[in-house]
Amino acid sequence: MKTLEEIEQLSIEELEGLAVREAAPVPDGLQERLRQTLAAREIAEAARPRPARWIPYASLAVAAAAAAVIALPQRGPKDTFDDPRLAYAEVEKVFRTISDKMNDGVTLVREAEASAEIPQNILNKSKK
Amino acid sequence: MKRTIILIAVILLFFPFICFAQSGKSIYQKYSDADNVSAVYISPAMFRLIGKIPDLEFNESGLNLAPVIRSLSGMYILNSENPSINASLGGEVDRFIQGGRYELLMEAKDDGEVVRMYTVGDSKTINSFVMLAVDGGEMTFVCLEGQMPRDETERLIAESVK
Repeated sequence: MKTLEEIEQLSIEELEGLAVREAAPVPDGLQERLRQTLAAREIAEAARPRPARWIPYASLAVAAAAAAVIALPQRGPKDTFDDPRLAYAEVEKVFRTISDKMNDGVTLVREAEASAEIPQNILNKSKK
Repeated sequence: MKRTIILIAVILLFFPFICFAQSGKSIYQKYSDADNVSAVYISPAMFRLIGKIPDLEFNESGLNLAPVIRSLSGMYILNSENPSINASLGGEVDRFIQGGRYELLMEAKDDGEVVRMYTVGDSKTINSFVMLAVDGGEMTFVCLEGQMPRDETERLIAESVK
C-alpha cells in the first residue's frame, strides 16, 4: 500500500500502469444485485399514480366555459321611463342638479377670493 | 403543449376581467336594485326619442339643451341612503375613475358635503361625465355617456353659476 506522498510523486503513465495491474475485484453477485435494484425501481415507478392527461384539457374547458358565460352579451338595464317627455324632464333635472353643485363650488371660490382680498387691502392701506 | 394549454387557460380566466372593466353601466347594474337606492336609467333609444320632441330646443330657463341631449347615449343615476352601499359605491366609482383616464373637472368640500365632477374626452368632445356627491348619509352618482360637444355641455353646466 502506497502513501499519499508516494502516489503524488508518480507520473501519469505510472499511475495508469498501476491501475491496470491492480484492478479492483468486482464483488460477487454485484451484477445480479444491480439488476434486482433496477427492476424493483421500475415496479415502484409503475405503481406510482401519474397525473391524468385529461387535467389540462379539463381546466382549459372550464376556463373557456367561465369566459363564455361572463362574456356573453348580458341584458342591459331597463329604461326607467316609457315617455320621452318624462325622460327629458329627468335629464333637465339632472343638469340643474349638476349646475347647482357646480354653483356651490364657484361660491366657495368666490368666498375664498373675498377672504384673500382682506390682507391685500390691509397691505395696500399700509403702503399709503 | 401542456404549457400552451395552461397559458390559454390563464388568458381565458382573465379575459372577463379585461373585457369587463368597470363602467357607468356595470356600477348601475350592481347597485340599482339595492335597498334604499333609487335609480334612473335612460337608454340610447330613449335619447333618440327625446331628440324627436318638437319643442325640445329651449327649456324654461332659455337654455338650449338639444345639442347635448341629442349627443347623449346613456344616463345612469344612483341615489343611495344606505351606508353600506355608500362605502362600496364610493370605492367602486374611485376605481372606475382611476381606470378610465378621467380628469377632475371640479371638487368642492363644504360642511361635510363633497362633490367631485370628472370628464373624459378631448378638447372638443366629452365622452363621459361623472359626478359623485356625498352629503351626510346620502350619495349621488351621475354618469352621462355620449359624444357631448364640450363647449355646449360646459356652458349648460355653468349656466346657473352666472
